[in-house]
Amino acid sequence: MGTENPNHANNYPRPSAPPFARQSNTLFSSSRSVVASQAAPFRPTSVPAPLSSVPAPPSTAPSLPFGTVVGSAVPGFRPMQTGRPTAPYGPPTTGPFQRFPTAPYLSTPQAPPPHTSPVGQPVLPPTMRPPPPSQVSPMPTFQNRQPHIQPMPMGSPPPSMNGVLSSNNAPQLVNSQYFSSSSNMQRPQPPMGPSHPDAVRASSSSAWPGYPGIQSSTATPAAPVSHQGGYAPPPPTTSAPFSSQGGYGPAPPVASPLGMYVGGSTPPTGVMPGLVEDFSSLSIGSVPGSFDAGLDTKVLPRPLDGDVEPSSFTQMYPMNCNSRYLRLTTSAIPNSQSLVSRWHLPLGAVVCPLAEAPEGEEVPIVNFATTGIVRCRRCRTYVNPYVTFTDSGRKWRCNICALLNDVQNDYFAHLDASGKRVDLDQRPELTNGCVEFVAPAEYMVRPPMPPLYFFLIDVSIYSIQSGMLEVIAQTIKSCLDRLPGNPRTQIGFITFDSTIHFYNMKSSLTQPQMMVVSDLDDIFIPLPDDLLVNLSESRTVVDAFLDSLPSMFQDNVNVESAFGPALKAAFMVMSQLGGKLLIFQSTLPSLGVGRLRLRGDDIRAYGTDKEHALRIPEDPFYKQMAADFTKYQVAVNVYAFSDKYTDIASLGTLAKYTGGQVYYYPSFHSAIHKDKLRHELARDLTRETAWEAVMRIRCGKGVRFTSYHGNFMLRSTDLLALPAVDCDKAYAMQFALEETLLTTQIVYFQVALLHTSSSGERRIRVHTAAASVVADLGEMYRQADTGAVVSLLGRLAIEKSLSYKLEEARNAIQLRIVKALKEYRNLYAVQHRVGTRMIYPESLKYLPLYGLALCKSTALRGGYADSQLDERCAAGFTMMALPVKKMLKLLYPSLLRVDEYLVKSSTQADEFEKLCKRLPLAAESLDSRGIFVYDDGFRLVVWFGQMLSPDISRNLVGEDFATDFSRVSLVERENEMSRKLMAILMKLRGADASYYPLCHLVRQGEQPREGFFLLSNLVEDQVGGMNGYVDWILQIHRQVQQ
Amino acid sequence: MGDLIAWLFSFFILLAVIALVLYQIMCFLDLETDYINPYELASKINNITLPEFITQGVLCCLHLITLHWIMYIHGHHLVYATEVFSELSREKKQRIFKLVYLAFLLFFSIFWMIWSIVDED
Repeated sequence: MGTENPNHANNYPRPSAPPFARQSNTLFSSSRSVVASQAAPFRPTSVPAPLSSVPAPPSTAPSLPFGTVVGSAVPGFRPMQTGRPTAPYGPPTTGPFQRFPTAPYLSTPQAPPPHTSPVGQPVLPPTMRPPPPSQVSPMPTFQNRQPHIQPMPMGSPPPSMNGVLSSNNAPQLVNSQYFSSSSNMQRPQPPMGPSHPDAVRASSSSAWPGYPGIQSSTATPAAPVSHQGGYAPPPPTTSAPFSSQGGYGPAPPVASPLGMYVGGSTPPTGVMPGLVEDFSSLSIGSVPGSFDAGLDTKVLPRPLDGDVEPSSFTQMYPMNCNSRYLRLTTSAIPNSQSLVSRWHLPLGAVVCPLAEAPEGEEVPIVNFATTGIVRCRRCRTYVNPYVTFTDSGRKWRCNICALLNDVQNDYFAHLDASGKRVDLDQRPELTNGCVEFVAPAEYMVRPPMPPLYFFLIDVSIYSIQSGMLEVIAQTIKSCLDRLPGNPRTQIGFITFDSTIHFYNMKSSLTQPQMMVVSDLDDIFIPLPDDLLVNLSESRTVVDAFLDSLPSMFQDNVNVESAFGPALKAAFMVMSQLGGKLLIFQSTLPSLGVGRLRLRGDDIRAYGTDKEHALRIPEDPFYKQMAADFTKYQVAVNVYAFSDKYTDIASLGTLAKYTGGQVYYYPSFHSAIHKDKLRHELARDLTRETAWEAVMRIRCGKGVRFTSYHGNFMLRSTDLLALPAVDCDKAYAMQFALEETLLTTQIVYFQVALLHTSSSGERRIRVHTAAASVVADLGEMYRQADTGAVVSLLGRLAIEKSLSYKLEEARNAIQLRIVKALKEYRNLYAVQHRVGTRMIYPESLKYLPLYGLALCKSTALRGGYADSQLDERCAAGFTMMALPVKKMLKLLYPSLLRVDEYLVKSSTQADEFEKLCKRLPLAAESLDSRGIFVYDDGFRLVVWFGQMLSPDISRNLVGEDFATDFSRVSLVERENEMSRKLMAILMKLRGADASYYPLCHLVRQGEQPREGFFLLSNLVEDQVGGMNGYVDWILQIHRQVQQ
Repeated sequence: MGDLIAWLFSFFILLAVIALVLYQIMCFLDLETDYINPYELASKINNITLPEFITQGVLCCLHLITLHWIMYIHGHHLVYATEVFSELSREKKQRIFKLVYLAFLLFFSIFWMIWSIVDED
């Protein structure tokens, strides 16, 4: 979404507001800010102007310029304070604004964003976009969701800092973008609005009189501060989007009749005048005991726009790394243990260190050839945009541990008048939250390894019959040219059935030599050197091998699989260098060490304490091998193909502890699954990979990372060993407070990934982010990131399912959601008549739905009959590695109706978006006259309604339309409709290349296919004993109220 | 006299077991402070698991033969390098508990030793 872009210029709904309208809006918005700001720190002692009267009463008109200025001036302020509360600002000689330029912190390097240039001019309207007039009127009560606003300018941070920070009692607007914008306009104003008593800190009101500069500054038009280092507030343009996101803004009038109140934009009449709500709510008019809850399913929140990243993360700290690399579950860090204990959701982060950056946003590579990498002496933090240079550039202060470090001579640069380094524009590491350093020799324990791909291929009868062997041989061959790291890339093969076959691929040979080892008890390597060869040197041999591989074994009738011994052999070959081991396994390992038995998915085990045992590896051999692989920098990817039980739980362990991945193709058949395997294997082989990596996340004093969740091995308490990492892997971690009270105002996080790039260079990828510390629970909820929360919750639940019953894992999810909502409700239950409404923070409005989806995900759903054991385990391994966006897509897949678009003759580019909107995932959305496409990122299901016109079916699937759809595959036919459908599928697939969603055709009423592919995945429906969305909400609501 | 010798034996064997458990706890502490890595830890712990069991067993037999009540703690015993960190606190607690138990045993064995000395007189 647009949130990736710090400048949401394109978010304005109606950029072309007529000038006069803009004027009045400006006025309006400024006055709104006035209201909001005063609402924050002050208790509603007197309410001269009810909020509802705010929209431009005539009396406000004269203050227009004033208000405008307010809006403009504040941006400079707020970030300053939040950003560097501990910073010793220069002596306040002439009031806050003049202080900034001389402040030592100005050295914080950042080129002023272009839009800040108007700062300093008295009139702001051009840069500050007011809400369009039409939108203004329906929202008479504007509120602020202020992230952390401090009305006071810098100087020594007032004791009340926390209190003020947390004064989020200011009512919030639903719109999160608006929220940030309004926060920028926070100004202290005479008390007049209501505020929540609990958030009011007496100190705040006492504090601000102590800062006389403020009042005058309000009138001072200029706020030149905003380009300060990283603390510059989002430039006005950024904040502009008052525009509603996702239709909430315009919605209010419609919404209230439906029973959904959106954060105060239409305050319920029952609420005291002027009391506006800081939360979203669902009115549940349930009569106790009645079945019909009176809850309209249409108003339930649904993430139909996909994952919307919270904008506060990058808006408050524009130099933070992009949220595709690091997402915090809440961007407001609690300042005390007691606060943490009241935040019932996971407190942590989801890191995707190598996420794919779009064109033009590549991570800058910095080479400190002469200086060595600049790091803090004490805490080893890498230099980043948040460090500050002092002492005319000779020293820098570490932002994490506050140690004053010397600047090396080679790295020295003078500071300019504003305290910034003069060479700032040539120093990406000082302006960019994410950089890659080229690491010198001291970061190596051995010369950088070459990319190495080793294939361990099962050639027993099922591999041949299913056509797997042929597909992978072709795919590997087609990828040879695209393997990263040419010409250093190394490659090798072992095949096995009841014996192990090694292949000598020495470049001097013309044909590979096969050597068979049948002694499985005492594995040895027949030829130590030429099993692993340089690809470019031995290319002809490798080609010859791959060409002959399928035919070599085509008559093989061996059903045994000596997987364990073959694994050991592969380990021996690879242990010199490390690299990536790709295992293709299509039967249950049956011979030698590591043999597995049919553990049987015993239905009697479900619901007992032994249930989880089926989901963990049976033989410690696999854990032991995984540990050894990681030690020698080998990453294992497991491709499993069997139609029978293959014990993915055991095999997957290899991938889990080596930073690998599990691909599972149940009942693989090349005719059906060929494209999927080909695409995913090609992706695995050709995507940019970082080798022999270790990752560590550092954070400020008082905060400590306690647990890590994902596919990796912990090398020490906080060091993740990742033999291979790529863009499709994400890691989640939780942190805890070490001290009872945090004294800092900001917590910094720095993720450092030391790795060897495919080109053979040792590099360090560093992502830095800052987050404010708050003292208020409401603020934490307000800045929560549903995506990260759900991602962490899911990982925790899957881990829990490995040692407890599925039921307990699901209950844990529900319990956390209930506790969180309960705590949130308690925050507001006193001031607001919440009654029977269900209230939740706007930021977490999708949490219940995603929680439900988690409980219904393949990994956690139901019991014995609801998903195959292997599929369940494979889904668990997959979900443990998924990046946030992909995870959310999987949990709440998109459902599109496409027949209208297909039938329509005109083809405009934007037609598709207009006609094919995402629908709620419920059977109700399906219409038997239509065609629907279901897309969860892993598979596509095209659903044909029963009453669909035969013409359309014929056009799409030819004459097969009456036959069994399981044997029909969708191919492009000679007509417009078919081409359009294929284009849609292509577009859906193109959205994310990490997996290839295979397309399944399903006709309405065709069981069990319809049930398996589609109906059981309709999250909002009641499926197999699991609640539907409405029931789930009611259940949660009931529990919250208890 | 026989009793005294039995208690003397059990005293020394107990000391040996306590030393082994202490060593294990030290290993876990080392791991926490990053002096050793999970691989070393796993091999160290797993290497002395067997000796510990043997001494425990000997102690047990001794107590059985000499008609004293003793049972010994067990659980699952081997440590895997892959999961050490998630189990660190539990493993440590388990060993500390064991240590307390052994100290208790030690106390009793000293008590009975002294008792049997005194008794002889």
